[in-house]
Amino acid sequence: MTVSLSKGGNVSLSKSEPGLRKVLIGLGWDTRSTDGQDFDLDASLFLLNNTGRVRTDSDFIFYNNLRSADGAVEHTGDNLTGEGDGDDEAIKVNFELVPADVEKLAVTVTIHDAETRRQSFGQVDNAFIRVVNDETGSEIVRYDLSEDASTETAMIFGEVYRHGGEWKFRAVGQGYAGGLGPLSRSFGVNVG
Amino acid sequence: MRTFQRGEKAKLSDLTPATELVAGVTIAGAGSEVFDVSCFGVDASGKLSDDRYFIFFNQRTSPEGAITGLGPTNGDDEAFRVELSQLPASIAKLVFTATIDGAGAMSSVRTGHLRLTVAGKEVARFGFSGSDFSAEKAVILGEVYRKDVWRFAAVGQGFNGGLPALLTHFGGEALEASAPPPPPPAPAAPLPVSAPPPPPVAPPAPAPAVPPPPSVNLSKVTLEKKGASRSVDLRKGGGTQTMHFNLNWSAQVAGGRKRGFLSSGTQAPDLDLGCMLEMTDGQKTVIQPLGDYYGDAQNYPFVWLDKDDRSGHDADGENLFVYRPDLIRRMLVFALIYDGAPDFKSVGTSLTIRDQDGNETFVKLDNPDAGRSFAAICMITNTGSAVEIRKEEQYFKGAQECDQRYQFGFRWSAGSK
Repeated sequence: MTVSLSKGGNVSLSKSEPGLRKVLIGLGWDTRSTDGQDFDLDASLFLLNNTGRVRTDSDFIFYNNLRSADGAVEHTGDNLTGEGDGDDEAIKVNFELVPADVEKLAVTVTIHDAETRRQSFGQVDNAFIRVVNDETGSEIVRYDLSEDASTETAMIFGEVYRHGGEWKFRAVGQGYAGGLGPLSRSFGVNVG
Repeated sequence: MRTFQRGEKAKLSDLTPATELVAGVTIAGAGSEVFDVSCFGVDASGKLSDDRYFIFFNQRTSPEGAITGLGPTNGDDEAFRVELSQLPASIAKLVFTATIDGAGAMSSVRTGHLRLTVAGKEVARFGFSGSDFSAEKAVILGEVYRKDVWRFAAVGQGFNGGLPALLTHFGGEALEASAPPPPPPAPAAPLPVSAPPPPPVAPPAPAPAVPPPPSVNLSKVTLEKKGASRSVDLRKGGGTQTMHFNLNWSAQVAGGRKRGFLSSGTQAPDLDLGCMLEMTDGQKTVIQPLGDYYGDAQNYPFVWLDKDDRSGHDADGENLFVYRPDLIRRMLVFALIYDGAPDFKSVGTSLTIRDQDGNETFVKLDNPDAGRSFAAICMITNTGSAVEIRKEEQYFKGAQECDQRYQFGFRWSAGSK
């Protein structure tokens, strides 16, 4: 049964789905129905250590780096328009392959070229993040951000983190000024 | 007061504890753009499932009165009073929109805002300008919506396709079928006590059926200035669909008070509607009660004047129908005061033109000349695929002087009804 979280809430994935090994983190939003440039939203994932930073630049999983070196995290690819029902972008995580010094997986969404297109999350409808047991297909938790998103152009939708031998998920819904560049720099990525 | 940027949202309870709000919109273009501001009350899926919750210039209030269009209010061009507690549960969102009727795009907006006020005090403001937009002709400015609680969002997104695209967005297909009828034209003046002189013995042409009013009247233009014009496409109906001209006036005395039942011994002014007509084949004629010629609906010139309203108290006013706009080269629509007033200064006179698409064009006589009882109101010119309606508002002592100006070249002699 799906747990629906609101901003700041958390749930234990391990307790909800005993024996959970692989998850799919799905992210979705509705394409605009009004005229103007499409919204191109990009999901990214940062593998973070106990200081909240990436160990190396390759811990930044995004459209130009779809797979982590250890194979624990795989981005299923870029969707340019947000059309269609269900997940618009998805990231697969194999918990058994996540290195021990990775404490947290931060899942973010940024609006591509937001500044020149004058776009923000407040203009995106029905944004959500959900975590699914990738072996059974059952949805464990979902967080609908719609009312928490406003003028941000980059947001941490949620994070999956270790807690006393369990994996938990937190609904974050925190925005950042700037786009993917400033966001990834804040996690310690050396962005050119 | 909190300012909102495009895309910004807030719980209404963070802005005000009140449930009665006034949503005000001001929008100023760079030129002659005409903006219509409307409110759509839509269901949880964003569709206008009940036409009665489309509050616009022809439908000013929702059935239970929870939404009321106020017109210009507190400095805003348009405002809506909203009582959220009275809204039925089926209405989940109130969408405030601005559309451009006619030429122009939202990119030319100089300045504008959507604001919420409570008891005259501003609690939220979303300011916008043309740089927020490009080719949009219809925009959603903001929304007051119910998601667990009532919330407010500054939206600022729209449609290049204008009002039709906006209606499609709201699932407005059904709107065409069952929208409210347009309201009657300008309010009628009170009935004068003294009877008007008996009508002339002038049997008009056999009355054709008045065309049914369009199901929904979405488009309206007021020609504000002399020389302002509007084009009506003829291609849709092959030029054979009717244009309807309605002259209405409020009978007032010079002091500005309406004539009442007690003001016996005086008469409401008697206005006549007429036109000078030049057809594409070069023939010319004048249709007016004074000349006892009412035209012909079924035969040449396919222009027909339906009655001679002697007092203006008839809500219908006077009506002129043009059945074959394609056969007309040019047509000057005029009004003259037959009796009851020296000029148009004390008579609030307006002409409403309804074309075959249901669009209304409104022409008001704003600046009458003293002592002149003949007004050229507008000129209709056939440009081939369209007719142009241009506001003239020129005043003359009589038809002959008017004809000299417009060069139809009629021979005039004195007449009487």
